[in-house]
Amino acid sequence: MLATIYQQRALVRAFAARDISTRYRTSSLGWAWSLVQPLVALLVYAAVFSLVFKIQAPPLGADADRTSFAAFLFTGMVTWNLFSGLLLQSMGSLKSNGELLRKVHFPAWTPVLGTSLVQLIQVALEVLVLIGMFAFQRNIGISWILMIPILLATALFAQGVGFILSIANARFGDVQYIVTVSLGALYFLTPVLYPMSLVENTASWLAWIVKLNPMTWFVTAMHETMYSLQFPDWWVVPALLVFGAVTFTVGFKIFQRWSEDIGEIL
Amino acid sequence: MTQLAIHAEDISKRFVRFTDQRNTLKERLVRGRAKKSQDFWALKNVTLEIPKGSVYGLIGHNGSGKSTMLKIMSGIYRPTSGTITTHGRLAALIELGAGFHPDMTGRENIKLNGSILGLTKKEITDATDEIIDFSGLKDFIDDPVKHYSSGMYVRLGFAVAVHMRPEILLVDEVLAVGDEEFQRKCFDHLSALRKAGKTIVVVSHGLGQLEGLCDEVTWLDHGEVQRTGPTTQIINAYLERVNTEESARSRQVAATRTTTAEQDKNELVVTQAQILGSAGEPLNHTETGKTFAIKVNFTTNQELLGPNLRIAFQHETGPLVTMVSNHRVHADFGVLPANEYAVTTKILDNPLLPGRYRVHIDVFDYTGTRTLDTWNEVLEFPVRSASGEIGQGFVTIPATFEIAPTNAP
Repeated sequence: MLATIYQQRALVRAFAARDISTRYRTSSLGWAWSLVQPLVALLVYAAVFSLVFKIQAPPLGADADRTSFAAFLFTGMVTWNLFSGLLLQSMGSLKSNGELLRKVHFPAWTPVLGTSLVQLIQVALEVLVLIGMFAFQRNIGISWILMIPILLATALFAQGVGFILSIANARFGDVQYIVTVSLGALYFLTPVLYPMSLVENTASWLAWIVKLNPMTWFVTAMHETMYSLQFPDWWVVPALLVFGAVTFTVGFKIFQRWSEDIGEIL
Repeated sequence: MTQLAIHAEDISKRFVRFTDQRNTLKERLVRGRAKKSQDFWALKNVTLEIPKGSVYGLIGHNGSGKSTMLKIMSGIYRPTSGTITTHGRLAALIELGAGFHPDMTGRENIKLNGSILGLTKKEITDATDEIIDFSGLKDFIDDPVKHYSSGMYVRLGFAVAVHMRPEILLVDEVLAVGDEEFQRKCFDHLSALRKAGKTIVVVSHGLGQLEGLCDEVTWLDHGEVQRTGPTTQIINAYLERVNTEESARSRQVAATRTTTAEQDKNELVVTQAQILGSAGEPLNHTETGKTFAIKVNFTTNQELLGPNLRIAFQHETGPLVTMVSNHRVHADFGVLPANEYAVTTKILDNPLLPGRYRVHIDVFDYTGTRTLDTWNEVLEFPVRSASGEIGQGFVTIPATFEIAPTNAP
């Protein structure tokens, strides 16, 4: 599988280049727009959830006397945006390249990965902002290096699901609506807007749902390493990586199986 | 045995037509798989052996499976049964410029399209100037292609596809695009590819084009191979079938005039006209090189001395092609007492080239100066090709050729 993907790297890159150059071509602010949306969301959520709902963030890793709800929130949002961004972009990718796939024979997953690469640039921008936020709070630690494998695992997981959704969306018109609704629900079942400790005090069934949600694992790991500056148990990050890699592989295989007749389906 | 570039063995392709669309998940879940489906076989047991270095044509009516076959060759469709093997890099000109992104410039699109077609970065860089040159779009290459005209779009698409140095080139009905000059350029390029030993598979309705290009042709009919063989032979057989089917189906070419009371009082009034075969049978079309007749009926209301009948032929695009006149060929009708007459004019070895022609009829008195009757746009009839040859222009003229060395002692 990796060899197949590597072989087509030029084509994936070409699709990525196309998406980069066309994404914000007609707007004057360009790529700045890709940061406006998450930052506005951050402001609104931070204001509403810390001031109205009075949710307390856990203490910062560098200074147990201080907390920062905004930094806590943005850590979760970056992870979540990586997931939902890859998912949604992948899902729409086959349809938006339909014209091409019906007329020319080439591996159908290449535009999907190309789009995802561009989405990763957006995530990288958000991560830079996140790092800036923590640097401003003087909350810096060696545990940060784990951010790379955790985000990688998140990306692999998201792309695996994204592959399945993209081919499912090409076949069934309903998929995009189901996904939009589910993502909305899942967002609140992931400890992005609240710390995990708050859920543990509530009804046990709700806590279970949140704990079984894979995104909780990724977001919690990010909170621990980036916000609390702690190393999780030694097996957590390898387990996340394996989980991500398996999801990616399964998603890729399913995609290949289902996309054999893509020229006729679209 | 010659090497094959493409070997299609016993290919069948089924399309499933759902009579009730059940594409949404809910319907799939609630009612299960669609049961009311109809199978449609686009191809049935098609076997093709396309030799390396040949130019191969596929002909047939609309829906005969030509384009489906081409899509199977290119890998866009998978055959339902049968196997297909291709040897060498393959490029398909199925729809030119299909991969162009409207917001990107011509140059950026060349890059993207090149990589979709499988070129490496270096190959693309090397070919870019050549492509721009060939397309003739030097001045517009850095504009977004959404500002291109459809002709420019197609020119760029063609230029990209033929410059990816394919071993096998699949061409689907795309030669009919662009202006005359660009079409010629495309043909020259195809000829050059052919000389270089590349394999070309062409699907076209332009039988004249195919005749000049192909070594071998397969005629598909309702998804089945009807015949395979040398180009001219197969095209003739195909045309013969098409012409017979058409004559069986469509009406004859004939017209009856509705005259005014005033016209009825004229010295002479033309009443009917019809296209006939050389044996007097009604026809709905004529063929180049084949004698046909035009029968003109008129009524004379008083005795007339040798009237002059002129029949003019106008091409569908407007130009008057030629005119026949009984005076010019010294056929005098003599003295005609008041009566009804029919004149049969034979057009010998029909020199008109394929196209549609309109007939206008004028009758003058014996001096050829005073108009007795005029009937414009009497008939319109098609001229078809009998041999598959479709020349350019309106008429064929008899010609002979001789060659001799000029430096003979």
